[in-house]
Amino acid sequence: MSVKKVYPFAAIVGQEELKKGLLLNVVNPKLSGILIRGEKGTAKSTAVRALAALLPEIEVVSDCPFGCDPDDITTMCRQCWERAKAGKELPRTRRKMRVVDLPVSATEDRVVGTLDIEQALKKGEKQFEPGVLAQANRSILYVDEVNLLDDHIVDVLLDSAAMGVNTVEREGVSFTHPANFILVGTMNPEEGELRPQLLDRFGLCVNITGILDPALRVEVIKRRAAFEENPEKFALEWEAEEEKLRQQIVTAQEILLQVNISEEMLFLIAQIAIEMGVDGHRADLVMMKAAKTMAALNGRTEVTEEDIRQSVDLVLLHRMRRKPFQELDIDRQKLERVMGGHNAHIHAHSHTHTRN
Amino acid sequence: MNTFQRTVYPFTAIIGQEKMKKGLILNAINPRLGGILIRGEKGTAKSTAVRALAALLPEIEVVLGCPYNCDPQDLAHLCEFCRARLKAGRQLKKTTDQVKVIDLPVSATEDRVVGSLDFEYAIKCGKPRFELGILAKANRGIIYIDEVNLLDDHIVDILLDVAAMGINVVEREGISYSHPAEFILVGTMNPEEGELRPQLTDRFGLCVQVEGVMDPKERVEIAKRREAFDADPRGFIARWAAEEQQLRERIVSARQRLSMVNISTEMIELIARLSLEALVAGHRADITMASAARTIAAWYGRTEVTEQDVYEVAELVLSHRMREAPPPPPEQPEEKQEQPEEKEEQEEQVQEQDNTDQPTDQTEELSPPPEQTNGESEESEPQEEDKQEDEDGQDLDSPPPAPQEKVFNVGLPFSIKRIARERDRILRKGSGRRSRTRTASRAGRYVRSTMQRGNNDLAFDATMRAAAPYQLYRCREDVAITIETVDIREKVREKRIGNFLLFVVDASGSMGAQQRMVETKGAILSLLLDAYQKRDKIGMVAFKGNTAEVLLPPTNSVEMGHKLLQELPTGGKTPLSAGLAKAYEVAKAHLNKDPDISPLLIIISDGKGNVSMGNDKPLVEARHIAGKICEEERIKTLVIDVEKNGFLTFGLARELAGALGADYYKIDDLKADTLVQAVKQME
Repeated sequence: MSVKKVYPFAAIVGQEELKKGLLLNVVNPKLSGILIRGEKGTAKSTAVRALAALLPEIEVVSDCPFGCDPDDITTMCRQCWERAKAGKELPRTRRKMRVVDLPVSATEDRVVGTLDIEQALKKGEKQFEPGVLAQANRSILYVDEVNLLDDHIVDVLLDSAAMGVNTVEREGVSFTHPANFILVGTMNPEEGELRPQLLDRFGLCVNITGILDPALRVEVIKRRAAFEENPEKFALEWEAEEEKLRQQIVTAQEILLQVNISEEMLFLIAQIAIEMGVDGHRADLVMMKAAKTMAALNGRTEVTEEDIRQSVDLVLLHRMRRKPFQELDIDRQKLERVMGGHNAHIHAHSHTHTRN
Repeated sequence: MNTFQRTVYPFTAIIGQEKMKKGLILNAINPRLGGILIRGEKGTAKSTAVRALAALLPEIEVVLGCPYNCDPQDLAHLCEFCRARLKAGRQLKKTTDQVKVIDLPVSATEDRVVGSLDFEYAIKCGKPRFELGILAKANRGIIYIDEVNLLDDHIVDILLDVAAMGINVVEREGISYSHPAEFILVGTMNPEEGELRPQLTDRFGLCVQVEGVMDPKERVEIAKRREAFDADPRGFIARWAAEEQQLRERIVSARQRLSMVNISTEMIELIARLSLEALVAGHRADITMASAARTIAAWYGRTEVTEQDVYEVAELVLSHRMREAPPPPPEQPEEKQEQPEEKEEQEEQVQEQDNTDQPTDQTEELSPPPEQTNGESEESEPQEEDKQEDEDGQDLDSPPPAPQEKVFNVGLPFSIKRIARERDRILRKGSGRRSRTRTASRAGRYVRSTMQRGNNDLAFDATMRAAAPYQLYRCREDVAITIETVDIREKVREKRIGNFLLFVVDASGSMGAQQRMVETKGAILSLLLDAYQKRDKIGMVAFKGNTAEVLLPPTNSVEMGHKLLQELPTGGKTPLSAGLAKAYEVAKAHLNKDPDISPLLIIISDGKGNVSMGNDKPLVEARHIAGKICEEERIKTLVIDVEKNGFLTFGLARELAGALGADYYKIDDLKADTLVQAVKQME
């Protein structure tokens, strides 16, 4: 099939935080998604679409509407599970992870799936038709302008995202199917904020702005022009870079499970969370996961302070406690102080160690 | 039966949050405590704890095959089904079962909650059968509502009703049915998202406030345990199995001891005294506190309630029932007698002291005498405004150089009573929490059925009624009732949605007098906060000097509204008519774009217009435009009068409200707790 060429991920100029956040999520889907806040025209959508080309292939049950993993019995849908239990061989195939779009105008039916009621009434049987969440199982669910989405649809989304299961409970149907997806949302804060409760459910968040460096801006224009002139050629030019990234992701996924985090680093994370005054403990947990993933992405199996430093913004930005109406921002000086203070602490610590 | 049964984090492995854990355990020991409400910030193991509790609950004895888990010992509360069996002289077979935790999702529809007609069965067999809802499944179990404050009002009503009676009576879709429904209500909420209705709060026996743990060591431990759990859930659970078993046994033995626990008269007196001190309404607090005290004594292995027990549970029982003491008499009465003319300022200073979270200094607020500002006119250039604002930040101590424009601080917000539009028949999309409306989405209360096909939200009862007369002539294939497309009826639903609120703010010099603007801004802020919680769209028009300006085009961003409100300068004449005209324009434009959502204009002014756009006198012109707004039926208006009661009240705002056909309020009337719902008819 002739797919329209997508602008290569590696060719995006700047927006390092954004790229980092997306890559982290691809490597570790347990980071529970990313929210991209920013003005119009800052490569938000481009980056997400470009990401699709980098996604690794996954093993799926070929005739399953939810794309179950044939090797993981705990996340299977009912049908696959029954078949597997009966000892039947599940037909398998490999396909790429997908980016599934959720339009803002989507109705709840389309999202969670529907019961074909008319059919049900005429024939007297209930038939469930899977929705977007089913398609998005084990893939990326992309919601453009997530802040404009109907509140209760956002609730449904986040609920499913948190539990990895979509439960439909209405009109006498109760149906569940796996819905493990990476939630990627974009929003323009001028159009209104997301409720804090919902914000918190996104693992990471990045604020992006237009690039202010004239040289880089020129580069953006040049690359875009080159791409529009001849997408194939442009893609070819960047293929090597893309392949490198792809390889980086695969390696990171392989070593992720072996990544270790020391007590010291855990204390640093806790310290940051306390000092920066975030609500609850979700920040700690996400920061830990993000730091580990960051280490994996950097090809290491031990989390360093640098990994934490690199992921801290992504985790904290949307979790800073704020009074109603305040804008989101991180008190950078304070953060530096916490991290610096810890540094001193480490040094003192290692000192005593050597002396002993 | 669920294939992906989620592995649950063990209760005993939760770190900290002792109060919450205690509250939950007390409920596990004594189900009659009436549940627990957990208030707190996000990410504090609220949901984790509730789900973990289920695994700890002791098993209960139930009638085998009874859908409602009837208690075979308790003959008074049997369901119809069991009663019929007993009557027929048959034995009720017993079995034991885990206590269930039933989730009530915020998006649940009414029919799933109370149950509905099983249409599959009805069509196949031609007989009605009741399909159980969440309430039936939850009999003798726990209903868990995450984000209980976001629950639709009509579902809350049902819950309250059923919880009070212990019976779910269903009268809908052509079936009439009732079954026992006694359950423990466990809810979590984040107060940032809006408060719960007091009636519902009172239903929860206990309430705890949870916060994140602040000790770094514990935080690290939390992260580590969670990580260990995520990496290997089964192994983690196995490691904690012994502790879980221990706790389970302790709960069981406390349960057995509970009936033997004594509470002395002195302790009951202490409880009554504590309740009185907390100014609680009604007696539920006393009763709950007594049984909670007995439960905790049983938990500690005693059979006598001690003072310590009472104090320990008092917090859990009283925290959500406590009411504010009546305000103390005004402070410093002597000084006021000495200098009666400074009364206004005194009050303002009291307010300033309270208002510590407003960083800017308020010295500048002490406004020049009203005569001075009133007389001032038209020197409002935007550049000057900016400069003025900058200066405001800098020279705080030096006396202001008699400015014409000022930026007043925002007064203290207060809670707003419900302001809503009347109902009508227009279908609307979207969500929100203000006005009731017919809704095009599938959430909301089913009010009646229609033949119009819209969103495939079928009304089974009506559809079957429509099909019934033709059954003789239709051919049947495997079904008892044949339904054709013409029979199909859809549900018409009603729910609350957000509105579009357009604030029309008078920023003229007269508003600066006597700190009115501080109070006005406080009132607007309150309305904005309210708008946020009700998910309204807002816009803002301000008028001063010679013109009116659209400060904020319609947006969902309440934050922007607040920022603008802070920066809004005051000064100059009062072009009331221009303000009204601009507001009319914005409202009209919004109506064109989104004809279903009618705007609500909130006009905040003293009504003393003194500049006109044309040749008419200012007030005449204003009245003329007001008449025009009044003619447009889709625009609703509300006038908030900021004029203080004094020797000279003009009552111009009231006249304006009359001309607009608007609802009229004084600022003080807006406060939720000062007025009995005079706007009841607007809901």
